[in-house]
Amino acid sequence: MSEKKHRVSRRQFLTYTLTGVGGFMAAGMLAPMVRMALDPALEAGADSDFVSIGLSEDELSEEPQRVDFTVELDDGWYQSEQTQSAWVFRNGDEVMALSPICTHLGCTVNWGTNEENPEEFFCPCHFGRFERDGTNIPGTPPTRPLDVYEVEVRDGMIYLGQINQRD
Amino acid sequence: MKWTGQDTVVYEKAKEYVDTAVIPLLPVAGGKEQQESVLMGEFTQYLTEYLEKQYMGRVYLLPPFTYLKEESGEEKKNRLTAWAAHFEKHGFKYFLFVTADMQWRKINLEEAGELVWIPAFSVHDMEPGKRHQAIEQQAQQIIPLMTQQWT
Ligand code: FES
Repeated sequence: MSEKKHRVSRRQFLTYTLTGVGGFMAAGMLAPMVRMALDPALEAGADSDFVSIGLSEDELSEEPQRVDFTVELDDGWYQSEQTQSAWVFRNGDEVMALSPICTHLGCTVNWGTNEENPEEFFCPCHFGRFERDGTNIPGTPPTRPLDVYEVEVRDGMIYLGQINQRD
Repeated sequence: MKWTGQDTVVYEKAKEYVDTAVIPLLPVAGGKEQQESVLMGEFTQYLTEYLEKQYMGRVYLLPPFTYLKEESGEEKKNRLTAWAAHFEKHGFKYFLFVTADMQWRKINLEEAGELVWIPAFSVHDMEPGKRHQAIEQQAQQIIPLMTQQWT
């Protein structure tokens, strides 16, 4: 449920490479304090977090398309790969990448799957709806827009960074 | 939602939205049959975790229902029905039982919920991206069975 919390702890582990169980436990206690002190530095280093999604800018249209990509995670115990998804499209002259996680309770939304509202994102769980730019539609359960990925275009290729919440 | 402390906290606050229980049915055996039972278990776990991830706002993935391969059909059925009845009393409306074990196809579970049987394949030696794709493909077969109940 709480993607947010996970992200934080993974980042901590990424940043402080730890060895041994003792270090691990000590860091568990210290990390919240250290993190507060170091947070600005972490933000500045966020660049390296961008991953390519194997899609170039000219493959995009106004129609959101779903891309799956894998990110490497290192939680201190083992390294694993996790598949993430995004809905990517051209919005005016910017490239937009939305998180598919419904802001109500976390189900995965799809584009255009509700026959009555083909130009919207739709959540099958409690029929939440979002406009193309991710704005939640009043009267449906979600109370805030879909989260957005930070987007960077390098040499025409699209890279996604961290996920940010909008209100 | 998953069977974790973190998710139960969310569940307590959002109970009225979570009405579907997914229960993996896993056969357990040692000796000659151990390998097969592990393979089925691993596959079923990936599959149900995928469902949970996609539908976490409405679906609670309960701990797997395990049984020895030699347990009789009658006994298994009674135990599983008791699980479902218990959780029904506590607010769940829909039940989806997911298994790779053929034996369940002969057991009538209609009163308790929807049974989905999917033939297992070996997942441990697949590269993660491929595995995700393969699991997703299988999940697409199951999802309509679940979402149809909702409408
Ligand atoms: S989780 Fe999407 S509407 Fe409830």
